[in-house]
Amino acid sequence: MATYNKHVQIGDRVMAAEGINSGMIKAAEKDDRIIAVLEDMGFPGIGWFTQNAPERVIECGIAEANGAGVAAALAAEGFVPFIHSFAFAAVSRACNQIRQSILQDRFNVKILGREGAWGEPGISHNHIEIIGITRVMPNLVIVNPADIIEAEKAIMAIADYIGPVFLKIEASPPPLKIFTEDYPFNLGKAYTVKDGKDATIIACGYMLTESILAAELLEKEGIDARIINMSTLKPLDNEAVIKAAEETGAIVTAENASIIGGLGEAVATALSEYSPAPLIRVGIEDEFSQSGRITPEKDELKAHFGLGAEDIALSVKECIAKREKFNKKNS
Amino acid sequence: MAHDEELIRDLEAKADNVRRNIFTIFESSQMGHAGGTMSLIEIVTALYFHHLKFDCQNCDWLERDRLVLSKAHCCEAIYAVLVELGVLPKEILSTYYRFGSPLQGHADRWCTPGIDYSGGSLGQGLSFANGLAYAEKLKASLRPPSVQSSMPRYIRKDNPLYRTYCILGDGECHEGQVWEAAMFAAKYKLDNLINIVDYNKFSLDGPTNEVMLLEPFVEKWKSFGWYVIEVDGHNLRQLVDALDLACNLYGDLKPKCIIAHTVKGHGIPHWEATHVHIGRGEDISRGVEEGRAKYGHL
Repeated sequence: MATYNKHVQIGDRVMAAEGINSGMIKAAEKDDRIIAVLEDMGFPGIGWFTQNAPERVIECGIAEANGAGVAAALAAEGFVPFIHSFAFAAVSRACNQIRQSILQDRFNVKILGREGAWGEPGISHNHIEIIGITRVMPNLVIVNPADIIEAEKAIMAIADYIGPVFLKIEASPPPLKIFTEDYPFNLGKAYTVKDGKDATIIACGYMLTESILAAELLEKEGIDARIINMSTLKPLDNEAVIKAAEETGAIVTAENASIIGGLGEAVATALSEYSPAPLIRVGIEDEFSQSGRITPEKDELKAHFGLGAEDIALSVKECIAKREKFNKKNS
Repeated sequence: MAHDEELIRDLEAKADNVRRNIFTIFESSQMGHAGGTMSLIEIVTALYFHHLKFDCQNCDWLERDRLVLSKAHCCEAIYAVLVELGVLPKEILSTYYRFGSPLQGHADRWCTPGIDYSGGSLGQGLSFANGLAYAEKLKASLRPPSVQSSMPRYIRKDNPLYRTYCILGDGECHEGQVWEAAMFAAKYKLDNLINIVDYNKFSLDGPTNEVMLLEPFVEKWKSFGWYVIEVDGHNLRQLVDALDLACNLYGDLKPKCIIAHTVKGHGIPHWEATHVHIGRGEDISRGVEEGRAKYGHL
């Protein structure tokens, strides 16, 4: 059994979205400026809102462009609106509204975009390009929490942060419970889940679960992999990337999203500018997703896209081989 | 409500000063959205010089009326007004479009004092105005109980903390978002919101109703749950009366839409004849020449 950092205690699988619900209620109890902006797709902790603060619930219907504009103006007037819908609707559908009405003036709007890279709904809902789309937008902080504990803490943190944030909520499959109750979530800071000297896996969201399972597979083969949780995708914690490159010399990124514009590219940029090291990006190639069955026994899309623990472990070994080849060439 | 002759004459004089400031902008920039700016003159004059609760010494006053210029490419008209009000210095007019100038090519809340809304991409302003108007309702409901009306918050009969005004172009009413916003305002009974459509009948590709049919325009707004007033958008008396009426109807639980029938490039023969949208070079200099001959310098 691997030795993890002190805020890590691996538990059973549980939906991270449950942490979004509890975090939303805690944040709304603490700060009465928080407004729930609905786009006909429910809202985390909606029961609390309707019972305790119905005037802080705004239902915009399936009209995300208007929803973004309404939220921007609420923020201009000092409120803290949280928009919640599918990522393809709340973000992509309203990209231009977010750009002009929210980001240009850096209004304090939080956007919770649901659904990860895979699931039964197919291409439309499996919005694997969303990180690439949002990463190019100035003034926007991007967060992708890894488990139920981090999800709750991330909601509390973005509620306190003054400025626009996009938080990706993954729908399926449930990740492991990874963190302890006293886990210190810091917006913009990576967290080292497990130290290691042979290579580093940098993951976000659900893929932290697969990375932990990958590290356990690697340990059986005598490979000591470091695991970094990069739950803030923008701004990226460059220092953690540089340190990992300098100390382990081989980096694998893991994301359940398109490798174009996502975590892998962000890490690649940091590496090539500050501390070049071999890199392999585990993620979805330049293609759309599709429908697929997800059961505890069988995950068709994970297998199809090569996003499982075995795939990550294989990439780590390949990356170590790459490093050895580079070292040999340069010596 | 009848307004005395003197007020209207005074406003007409102000409108002419606003025009002169706009000519100064165009003389320096040699380009600008001449047509949609000239159709807007009386509307912004009636708002700023008679109607808006606005403190020139404190543009961020929390109780000021909010103005969302959704057709933000016609910000030249607002810049000209802000100079006339003394919010901005006159010299600034010649910096329009220049690097580092507070007078950006499209209205920008961060750069220019007195601007409430950053625009440029059309069809979005009414949504932002919705948010401002909803926020006023929320703030009113959060007022200390001693000053809160005992009536439910949507049927308070006293004045709102502030009103929100929005100015839409007719062309941007082709955007679906405008109608999303129209539904929202009616649903949330935003009677503190007054939307003015500068219906100048021309957009860039041609007559607005040929580019995409807006008519029956008045009926559309009515069917979306709005109280609609139609005016001649170059008649200051009609405009101030319509704005007064829209304010006095507060408490009727309906958002107000003033359809202002206007002429693109109004007052300038060359611009009226060409329905100029964005003018450059000869188009601008000829129009400014005609304008100077008619209205002179300040």
